[in-house]
Amino acid sequence: MMTEFSNQQSERCSGAMVQWCGGAVVQWCRGAMVRWCGGAVVQWCRGAMVRWCGGAVVQWCRGAVALIFLLMFISSCTKQKSTGPDFNPTPYDLKIPKFFPTKLNIPPDNPMTVEGIALGRYLFYDGRISGRDDPDSLMSCSTCHLQSHSFECGIDHPEYTGGHPFGVTGILTPHFMLPMINLVWTNHGFLWNGSVFEENPDEDKRNLEDIAWMAVVAPHEMYSDTNRSKAMIRNTKGYPELFKAAFGSETVTMKNMGRAIAQFVRTLVSADSRFDRYLRGEIQLNPDELNGYVLFMTEQGADCFHCHGGDGNPLFTSNLFFNNGKDSVFSDPRDRFSVTSHTMDIGAYKAPTLRNLAFTAPYMHDGRFRTLDEVLDFYNSKLVWSPSISPLMHHIATHGIRLTAWELADLKAFLLTLSDSSFISNPDFSRPSKLPGE
Amino acid sequence: MIIFRNNIPVLLLSILFLFSCRKDNDTPDTPVTNRLTILFEQSVDTVPLQPDTLIYINAAGNNYKVTDLQYFISDITFYPKSGEEQTIKSHDGIHYIDLRLPDTFVWTPADIIPEGEYDSVSFIFGISEEKNISNRFPNPPERDMAWPDILGGGYHYMKLNMMWRNEPSANPMPFMFHLGIGQTYSGTTHDPDSITGYVQNYFKVKLPVTMVIPAGTPQKIILSMDLNKWFGPVEIFDFADYPMMIMQDQAAMESGCRNGKHAFSVRVK
Repeated sequence: MMTEFSNQQSERCSGAMVQWCGGAVVQWCRGAMVRWCGGAVVQWCRGAMVRWCGGAVVQWCRGAVALIFLLMFISSCTKQKSTGPDFNPTPYDLKIPKFFPTKLNIPPDNPMTVEGIALGRYLFYDGRISGRDDPDSLMSCSTCHLQSHSFECGIDHPEYTGGHPFGVTGILTPHFMLPMINLVWTNHGFLWNGSVFEENPDEDKRNLEDIAWMAVVAPHEMYSDTNRSKAMIRNTKGYPELFKAAFGSETVTMKNMGRAIAQFVRTLVSADSRFDRYLRGEIQLNPDELNGYVLFMTEQGADCFHCHGGDGNPLFTSNLFFNNGKDSVFSDPRDRFSVTSHTMDIGAYKAPTLRNLAFTAPYMHDGRFRTLDEVLDFYNSKLVWSPSISPLMHHIATHGIRLTAWELADLKAFLLTLSDSSFISNPDFSRPSKLPGE
Repeated sequence: MIIFRNNIPVLLLSILFLFSCRKDNDTPDTPVTNRLTILFEQSVDTVPLQPDTLIYINAAGNNYKVTDLQYFISDITFYPKSGEEQTIKSHDGIHYIDLRLPDTFVWTPADIIPEGEYDSVSFIFGISEEKNISNRFPNPPERDMAWPDILGGGYHYMKLNMMWRNEPSANPMPFMFHLGIGQTYSGTTHDPDSITGYVQNYFKVKLPVTMVIPAGTPQKIILSMDLNKWFGPVEIFDFADYPMMIMQDQAAMESGCRNGKHAFSVRVK
């Protein structure tokens, strides 16, 4: 991990000052300065600098100590970001749409830059990231994540029957897909069960950056190994320069690949549906759509908003996890319970965004509903009780919300106002006309 | 003395080194003076709440468990024996508490409370009308408390989600005890089309407490909410009387709030 920091970095955390500088880690901790360098520990303790090396303690003279401190002082104030003469990436200004959250999931060590996003877009669409160059076995993020389907694969995918993707070796993904939109506002964990989250003890599964390389190595996805993928990208003309522009070094690392792809994915903002324009006061919805909106937002109506947002939450997902009454018996080893061990999370999954749901069939974590009508029919009359059903499914006593056919039609009409056709045709998100080396 | 003089450069450089690495946006640690920490507790019959455990019985005899609890407390005010009352202003005086987020159980506002003797404290359960404005919280978790505009807007005062039953052999069913702005309807149904007006259901609670704030010393108080007291004994609130939800039932919310005024207690830690 350390080898990937090509620039000087410093940070202060939990009362300890840690500095990575030119191949050495310098740490101030509990009143002692400890330096690890080339296999030796150097420690400042009670007025004397001592060096521990191969079982011997060597004491340095005070003049040398003063010099070392001076050098440390000079180097310790370096800011996090490198400011080398040939590395000056352009900050990317992410526009926050009206009413959208102001808190963004952008890690401090991966700020969005124009160069990083450009590299990420190439990598997102480049099948060579799978470590292969045979046209028959190329696989990239975009193999499954199609812009036309809000970056899901879609039920009409020519290869993935019924919208269930599989990896290069034919292994099906454990779950169906989630829309890959507005993830810059995801804050409660990624994937259907939220197993990638900021506080994860497994530091390789904490954010979008990690998901990118998880996809590269997962048997049910690209099934590559990191060395093969890195070599394939490194040996493609144009990429080293793109890495240098984005991260200050031509060295191709998985970490920087993940960072670049994550930066690109964070630009995938969908916020221009008819409903958005209605909220902005630009258009009016028709009476059926408005009635559907009221049903969506009321407890005695369809009560969708408690899980999916709406007023006050235009993401149309709370990014929280619920057992929504699909089953009474559960066997999926990857539900929310597998992450939290809370009994109320048995059979629970993320409430996905309802934005662009016209493009994202099939529905639910297991793709069991092929159409939006099937989904509405389920919530209307087919809910089943289980001990871990969410209390928010309060219509369970009647097995559903029991709307009339006319009300269901209005609810559907409203849901379709969440379709953002400008998003699925936005050229900034599409495959570049040429990938490096083409 | 010679030894001391020889060490001066080392000493100075050491100090420089130690203080040189603070980030620009770090603020220096300042001594805590007259700061007050408010701790929020949730209990059932004085015993700390155990989530997801079907062991509680309310005054109506409903057997229930709590799965989610989120609520707002605002405008906390301290009344001195003499002098001016002190209202917490930090974060516009609004604090959010979430059973799943233990960090929210502790609030140390930036306000400095003048030293002296205080004999009571008051607060608003929920958010007052002037502050309960839609879209004031764009980010989670407070955002997820949004109350639909069609039903009055602003934010839930409280979401208390439960599973309950009356018979030991029955499957527990949901009950969503959600409080916020109520509605009046022109007819007997709760059809949003027949809403004629809105009702502010937030309420103020004032409780006696003997509290001395010495100069320069942090103080802690505990604000405790007994969940069972929302359902009696002042007024029996039987889950069986309602269709598992009350957001569109002003009478139910009023009944709950009449009980809720007696659900809180405060003590100095």
